[in-house]
Amino acid sequence: MKRQAVTLALGSALVLSACGANANSDDGGAAGGEEATDTLTVAYSEGGTTLDPAIASDVTSDTFVLAAYDQLVTYARTEVDGQYEADTSQIEPMLAESWDVSEGDTRYTFHLREGVTFQDGSDLTAEDVDATFDYIASSSNAAFLYGMAGIEDVQALDEYTVQIDLTAPNHLFLQILPMYSFSIINMDLVEENGGTDWLAANTAGSGPYTVDSWDPASEAVLTRNDDYWGEAPALRQVTMKFIGEASNRVQLLQNGEVDVALEVPPKDVESLAAVDGVTIDSRASNKILYFGMNTAIEPFDDPLVRQAISYAIPYENLISDVMMGQASPMTSSVASSTPGWTDAGYEYSHDLDTARELLAEAGYPDGFEFDFTLGSGFQDWADDAVLIQAELAEIGVTMNIENMARPQFLDALATGEVQSYISRWTSFVNDPGYHLGLLLTAEGTSNYVNYDNDEVNALWEQAATEPDADVRADLYGQMQEIITTEAPWAYLYEYNIVVAHRDGVEGYTSYPDGIIRFFQMSRS
Amino acid sequence: MPYIARRIAAMIPALLGVIVCIFLITRVLPGDPARTFAGEQAAPSVVEQVRREMGLDRPIWEQFFRYVGDLLRGDLGFSWHTGRTVVEEFATRLPATIELSLAALVLALLIGVPIGIISATRRDRPIDHVSRVLSLVGASMPLFWLGLMVIYLFYGQLGWQPAPLGRIDSGLNPPTSITGLYVVDSLLTGDLAALRSSLAHLIWPAMVLATGSTAIIARMTRSAMLEVIDQDYIRTARSKGLPPLTVIGKHALKNAAPVTMTVVGLQFGQLLGGAVITETIFTWPGLGSYVTDAVLATDYAPVQAFTLLAAVVYLVVNLLVDLFNGVLDPRTTHA
Repeated sequence: MKRQAVTLALGSALVLSACGANANSDDGGAAGGEEATDTLTVAYSEGGTTLDPAIASDVTSDTFVLAAYDQLVTYARTEVDGQYEADTSQIEPMLAESWDVSEGDTRYTFHLREGVTFQDGSDLTAEDVDATFDYIASSSNAAFLYGMAGIEDVQALDEYTVQIDLTAPNHLFLQILPMYSFSIINMDLVEENGGTDWLAANTAGSGPYTVDSWDPASEAVLTRNDDYWGEAPALRQVTMKFIGEASNRVQLLQNGEVDVALEVPPKDVESLAAVDGVTIDSRASNKILYFGMNTAIEPFDDPLVRQAISYAIPYENLISDVMMGQASPMTSSVASSTPGWTDAGYEYSHDLDTARELLAEAGYPDGFEFDFTLGSGFQDWADDAVLIQAELAEIGVTMNIENMARPQFLDALATGEVQSYISRWTSFVNDPGYHLGLLLTAEGTSNYVNYDNDEVNALWEQAATEPDADVRADLYGQMQEIITTEAPWAYLYEYNIVVAHRDGVEGYTSYPDGIIRFFQMSRS
Repeated sequence: MPYIARRIAAMIPALLGVIVCIFLITRVLPGDPARTFAGEQAAPSVVEQVRREMGLDRPIWEQFFRYVGDLLRGDLGFSWHTGRTVVEEFATRLPATIELSLAALVLALLIGVPIGIISATRRDRPIDHVSRVLSLVGASMPLFWLGLMVIYLFYGQLGWQPAPLGRIDSGLNPPTSITGLYVVDSLLTGDLAALRSSLAHLIWPAMVLATGSTAIIARMTRSAMLEVIDQDYIRTARSKGLPPLTVIGKHALKNAAPVTMTVVGLQFGQLLGGAVITETIFTWPGLGSYVTDAVLATDYAPVQAFTLLAAVVYLVVNLLVDLFNGVLDPRTTHA
């Protein structure tokens, strides 16, 4: 009886399958054998969290946003030694063809490109810009940038003219506008779909690509927007694969399963460079790593002690042994690729004798003991900490390492009570004002070392509203010199951004935000 | 019947306990989800606003009653780190996890039980020693390491394994969805291309995931068989002149089966836990990789939902095992 039922079930299934077409019955379909030159597969480490420009804050999400949306203006792109890189000091037209700046630098009038349509076919007008800026101002994440840009009021003067008033002259304004957060959104479409929550999983932009599918656990597929107003992108389709395990990303690139792999671990760079058909693109970035010493907690309240620590760090070993050469020396609180950078005041090197002298001068001839908090998630931090601990032991200083999971670590930092730690920072706005304002002024929200120097604070205030770029650079230079001398941080290194790709992948451009713009890329 | 009812009733307090525990553990753990979600460079005012939006500024008892209320309405909450509801996420990912866990379970049974029987019947002979050493190694091998090694060797070096990217070749369409299990669906729709590809994708992670359970099932089957083999009725059966296969298969195995089945029930919990790791390594688009991300992002709702789901599955599977054992050995239902 039972057996009969099974036979019956199997039989009917076979009959079913014999008459009905299945999902792969159309033979000779799309999956051709030969390599297409207008598609690209890129391996990312994370799958992204949102498609909403005003909420996106991780590399994958930001990549979606920059593919699907346009901004009013954008950063210039230059070619250096056959490689492309962003020139953030030059702002170029995008949706805005041109703009005028009023006397006093507080009113910007943008003239929009005519004939630009959103991906749903509707026209992009000044009203859309106005509505988008309203949304940004009220959003939870990007509102903060809105404030930093100093925007007071946005008005659509006519169909293609937008006027933006600032509270005061603000050189960060034009630096912030090209960011993904300031993407122009088709707010009418958003309204039709029930409000801005819809943006988390859908796009409403005018950008060069549409997001066809997105599954954060596996992959996303982007397809060229054939009605794009700008130059047509070379790649018809881009597939983003989300592969958390770094060794798998490397393996897949070696086998040619993916064309580009991001976040290649430093230890794999050398072996990967030797593989036929693979090119390593390793470039300096403005992502820095520093050793923070809490200036509000003894004995780091004494600059001499902090300087002593700065002399005890084995800088060269960190770069050669931990980072395998995929990093460069950091000699200021600001990354060396940031306009206005200076290494004035930087005299530190790995010199234990000087470190001992400074300790004795500060009243700690026999050293001291302190707590160090190590956040999880980055192998190089852990290796750095151990190497630094060993050197400090040489000068009689005991460094107690306490491990913490990352969410807990971020929490602890925010309390301002961590005595010392290692942390990285990337300023998405490549400007010393943005960078130092957040990290090393009294009001800075990420000033976890409680650094509070009246002169530095005053210089920052002065520079914030200074319209002349040279004068501003000079003020930021003075700040950097004071900070370097007082050493609230020991400067560990500047990371390289390592991207590995198959030969024939062209047009990759490095940006301070580390995000790939697919419309610039092609394959030969 | 009263036995089943009693067992099902006993699940309710267990589930309530689980709900309270997972809620408290996720809340008590340090790490502020609002901060994680707002991003590293976010201002405190932004973090505060996000916290309000997430309802985390409410007292903990209020959050708990909301959570239980939502649960009763079938609402598993909102996943902050992906911006979708947990129910939506689970609907797309659960089949992948079930397929992987079931395949691993089937493999573990198909390999583990015969090894256990052979070991028991050839006690202290070389094959017994080999299988005992192998199961010791298998049981103590870290999944994470094993997975990476399999990919390195079979994909990277030998090229036997398809790229560890998902459940099917990217050039193929997934089979028409009936059960959500690709292998089963492609069989049902007679989709040979999809069947071949999905089997090739499934077999490697399933083998890795099955390793530990195979070893334990083999060991438990062996010791259960050894106990049974020494019994009088087996000697009687043998002396009656029954063929050895009948003695082992019909008389010994049937009496050793409850032990094996109980182990299988316990192992299913292990498999669900192991799936989390295996999926991450093989980029298997199931619940595991999703929940791992959720844990790292201190995203409460998916973590709670997964733990609850695992508890329910575990309880149900073990209930089924006990019922099955009850059929084999009616004495157990009267205990």
